[in-house]
Amino acid sequence: MAPMNGDTVKRMARDVFDYEISDADADAMANSTGAILTLSRHLGNLGLTGIEPPFGYPNLNAEAARLNGKKE
Amino acid sequence: MASNEILSFDVATLSEHLRGKKISPVEVTKAYLDRIARIDEKIHSYITVTGDEAIAAATKAESEIASGNWRGTFHGVSVGLKDLVYTKGVRTTAGSKILSDFRPDYDATSWARLKAQGAVMLGKLNLHEFAYGITSSNPHWGVCRNPYALDRIPGGSSGGSAAAIVAETAPITIGTDTGGSIRIPASLSGCVGFKPTWSRVSRYGVVPLAYTMDHVGPITRTVRDAALMLNVIAGHDPNDSTSSREPVPDYTATLNSGIKGVRVGVIRELMNGLSDDVSKAFQSAMKQLTELGASVEEVSIPSLPMAGVINTIVTFSEALEYHEEWMRSRPGDYGEDVRRLLESGMAVTAVAYVRAQRARARILADALAAMTNHYVLAAPGSAVTAPRIGETRIVGTGQQRIDPVNDILRFTSPFDCTGQPALAIPTGIGGDGLPLSMQIIGKPFDEPAVLRVASAYEAARAPLPPPSI
Repeated sequence: MAPMNGDTVKRMARDVFDYEISDADADAMANSTGAILTLSRHLGNLGLTGIEPPFGYPNLNAEAARLNGKKE
Repeated sequence: MASNEILSFDVATLSEHLRGKKISPVEVTKAYLDRIARIDEKIHSYITVTGDEAIAAATKAESEIASGNWRGTFHGVSVGLKDLVYTKGVRTTAGSKILSDFRPDYDATSWARLKAQGAVMLGKLNLHEFAYGITSSNPHWGVCRNPYALDRIPGGSSGGSAAAIVAETAPITIGTDTGGSIRIPASLSGCVGFKPTWSRVSRYGVVPLAYTMDHVGPITRTVRDAALMLNVIAGHDPNDSTSSREPVPDYTATLNSGIKGVRVGVIRELMNGLSDDVSKAFQSAMKQLTELGASVEEVSIPSLPMAGVINTIVTFSEALEYHEEWMRSRPGDYGEDVRRLLESGMAVTAVAYVRAQRARARILADALAAMTNHYVLAAPGSAVTAPRIGETRIVGTGQQRIDPVNDILRFTSPFDCTGQPALAIPTGIGGDGLPLSMQIIGKPFDEPAVLRVASAYEAARAPLPPPSI
């Protein structure tokens, strides 16, 4: 992965989020998130094959029921 | 009864005296309001003190108790609430400028349940802005300070909640925990902080930081008080579809069970990089547990070191999602540290987020495997004692420099990832005069086991000397 730098961060924030980030904030962000994103790739080494994300249908169903209950 | 005697009571004792009409809720409330007026400008544990409302509620409670209408443990008991817990009609700032004038039109379920028992709210407690940090050095509402040393942080994000307990500006408080925000201030300030299982306590009416990592729980003087509060606030809430339908036991039932034959697993991955004082106090605590009849041995959770990354990715993403509109419209109204953390969420991809969420099951599976033959796990609450306010790096053991964020959060965030119940309890005072602590961690929904072990240890441990403020 190409290293993140302040310019990359500023461009990404502008192009993707339509958000202007200061030079100081962009530099700080480049340092911290570059590390996090590199480490996130290592999460695959934990042996995640077959592991589901914890997004259960019961929650989705219950939330819809709650929203409908509010309307009544 | 003298004020200082009233202030010394834990909730269990307070409740007994209130029910027995030995003291009145108005006396209790006035004692706390006087204490707040006298010392809170030194520690800034409060953002809003609801003096008039507290007296009115206490007067009503007094009348009810006098006529024999006892509503429960918290009837007439003073309570402080972290200022991201919604309180109907009362300013709820989340420690921010953005919500500085926000008055919710409903109560959070956790507060509503205490209020239904006749609890008296003293006010809203200081915190790290939007719960997104561990110092509680709040740029908008005042720097919260550690009662043991006013130049030190109380920890965060529930810094006001813990400082209030230790400084006796509240007998019991509610906090929240996403990466450690109940347990870190409890550890650094010297009190009990209990993060229950995720979904055990409703999150309805609590300003979120990260939906899938946020927990609501008590910060208290004693383990018994934590159990008493959990008895009231735990349980399914139709307003929070994620809240668990697991039955709520009587959490005080195991407090006097003792721990003979109990097996405690010390987490190997959290036993490195500790300051000498933290290490000694933890070893002493483990020795105490064996003297009480437990057996203590080391266990391993190999994936644990990745929990911090998981917690960061999930929190970065979910926090930015909640804050995105404010970030666009008024980024300058955030404190610099919180704004930078929110901006960091822009760099987290959806792929990284989903992978992090999947990886949580791996950490939990490894933690439960480590507990196959163990009743609870144990670990220090932090590698270090409370850092100085404004300090970003400190010298640790030998020449090693410690990053307070990584060497404090490393101990707590794994159990936000796994959602296991985890309780921080003081183990003593270090050579620097600051509190030391450990954590007891249980299996999901096994709060009784955590409370049992913590209670046994607390009864055997010498009381902590109070701070002099």
